[in-house]
Amino acid sequence: MPDIITVEGLSVVYPDGTKAVSDISFGVKEGEFFGFLGPNGAGKSTTIKALTTLLRKTAGKVSVAGYDLDRSPREIRRSIGVLSQETSLDVDLTGRENLRLQGRLQQLHGKILEERIEELLKLVQLEDVGNKPAGRYSGGMRKRLDLASALIHEPKLLFLDEPTTGLDTQSRVAIWEYLEGLNKKQGITIFLTTQYLEEADRLCRQLSVIDHGQLVANGTPSELKAALGGDAITLTIEDSGLRSRAKEILKTIQGLTNISDSEGGIVAYAKNAGEIIADIVTALQASGIRPSFLSISSPTLDDVFLRQTGRRIRSDELSRRETEPFLV
Amino acid sequence: MAFLYDTQSLFQRYLIKLFRNPTLLGTNLFTPLLFLLLFSQLLQKFSLFLPGVSGGYLAYLTPGVVVLNAMISAPLGGVSIANDLNSGFLSKMLLTQVVRPAILLGRLFTDMLVVVMQSIISLALAIALGVKISSGIPGVLLILLTVAFFELALSGIFLAIGLKTRKTETISAISGVIFFPIIFVSSSMFPVSFFPAWAQTISNYNPVSYAANVTRELVIGGLSASTVFYAYVLIGIIAIASFAATLYQFRKVIS
Ligand SMILES: Nc1ncnc2c1ncn2[C@@H]1O[C@H](COP(=O)(O)OP(=O)(O)OP(=O)(O)O)[C@@H](O)[C@H]1O
Ligand SMILES: [Mg+2]
Repeated sequence: MPDIITVEGLSVVYPDGTKAVSDISFGVKEGEFFGFLGPNGAGKSTTIKALTTLLRKTAGKVSVAGYDLDRSPREIRRSIGVLSQETSLDVDLTGRENLRLQGRLQQLHGKILEERIEELLKLVQLEDVGNKPAGRYSGGMRKRLDLASALIHEPKLLFLDEPTTGLDTQSRVAIWEYLEGLNKKQGITIFLTTQYLEEADRLCRQLSVIDHGQLVANGTPSELKAALGGDAITLTIEDSGLRSRAKEILKTIQGLTNISDSEGGIVAYAKNAGEIIADIVTALQASGIRPSFLSISSPTLDDVFLRQTGRRIRSDELSRRETEPFLV
Repeated sequence: MAFLYDTQSLFQRYLIKLFRNPTLLGTNLFTPLLFLLLFSQLLQKFSLFLPGVSGGYLAYLTPGVVVLNAMISAPLGGVSIANDLNSGFLSKMLLTQVVRPAILLGRLFTDMLVVVMQSIISLALAIALGVKISSGIPGVLLILLTVAFFELALSGIFLAIGLKTRKTETISAISGVIFFPIIFVSSSMFPVSFFPAWAQTISNYNPVSYAANVTRELVIGGLSASTVFYAYVLIGIIAIASFAATLYQFRKVIS
């Protein structure tokens, strides 16, 4: 499959001097479900705006849907659908009217347009409220209507900027299912940004991790996880003075890799985590260090992120995850 | 072809939005009618000083009130574009295949239609109160054309401000501050001969006076080609200047 997006050395500097994206390069294959993962302010929206012709890039060579970004912005706009981070609907217009306006601006006419509107309302399950002003929709309904309007002209490439941020679990899962369907059944290439690891993990087959405007990792979710070297072992050590000593001790243990600080403790990776854990406890106790908490888990994208950036992604979300999954 | 289609699509959008906000439309319509009723009653005695005017002060006031409609509607487009800029809806439109000037043009047509409808209502009230339009139906059409053209020229100023500042508050503040002085220090509401000399001078250069004078000659009679000519030249100059500014700001926003 050829690349539907190629980005070489893209940089975006805002007029106020903010370097939002610095010299990033990547490619997206046709039919791919591509994820762009990064925390707040990483440069995800900036990248999407540059690729979709909304924002002028400072440097780099970009081609989207077979067209050069500098030379053929109109052709690019014809080929892509965009769901921006801020839901943008006309709140005075009904759901149907919003779709009709969007369809007309995409140069659709008459019966074809009306049929497409009904088809999309059905897809996003809004056919019952299609005649209600969008201003009276819930957040999830608005997102779904916005998604439908991005699809009205049957684009072969869809850009989605944090499509599920701020939505409840139900709406989120619904959007995931539409997106999987669009990608699998209709072969639409999807470029999705997210700060949710579980979202990237579930949906994306190819991932780039972005932080501070730079790409820090590329690969499939499983490749990225495999590169960590096995399961994640997390130790909580309350006394921060003991932590660096504990790290030194861990470094002497065979088979333990990627030892690094994590909030309130240490994280390390090992293929045979179950066996090695006894060695860890023995070695630490010999030095009088007792971890207050110890866990083994298969690595998540959060571990990838921690490994690449030294920080957890949105720790507030993670700490809440135990009790209220996904709720923001 | 796409340009016409897009202009029509956006014209419909803005029209629907206006009619879904009846309070705004209502106050915009109500203000000129209130002026007409209030001033024609309170200042009835002005008629004594207008011996040459058949229909008295009410007939004198009517053209001013019609022109008032243009001034009240002129900021609508600027407010709307600032809202679309802030809500991200403009970006959404820019991501489609829309022919971009249609975004502005659709709005201008909507506002001109609104002004024409409001002016018809104002004229209807005046006629109901006893004013005779001396120039008949063709005169009414020319009045509506003049008011629509005046509104168009003024709306360019507010579009440029809206695009530049992206703040609806700025537009309301500016229109609020300049509104009363330029309305009252003109020939639109009160006979200029009552004014002190300095105010007469200002009034003589005030574009509102020009638009009101054309309309007044069409209502009261005595239309002269030069009044029409100078009014259209002046409004034309305002239109060219304000739309040069608007297009300049629009290009900055869309690139
Ligand atoms: N219009 C702007 N002018 C100046 N700086 C900006 C502008 N928009 C964004 N930035 C800055 O650029 C950086 C990247 O922002 P961007 O919106 O691309 O991040 P993001 O990854 O989308 O974050 P989020 O997850 O919060 O949406 C941030 O530091 C941000 O403050
Ligand atoms: Mg963003």
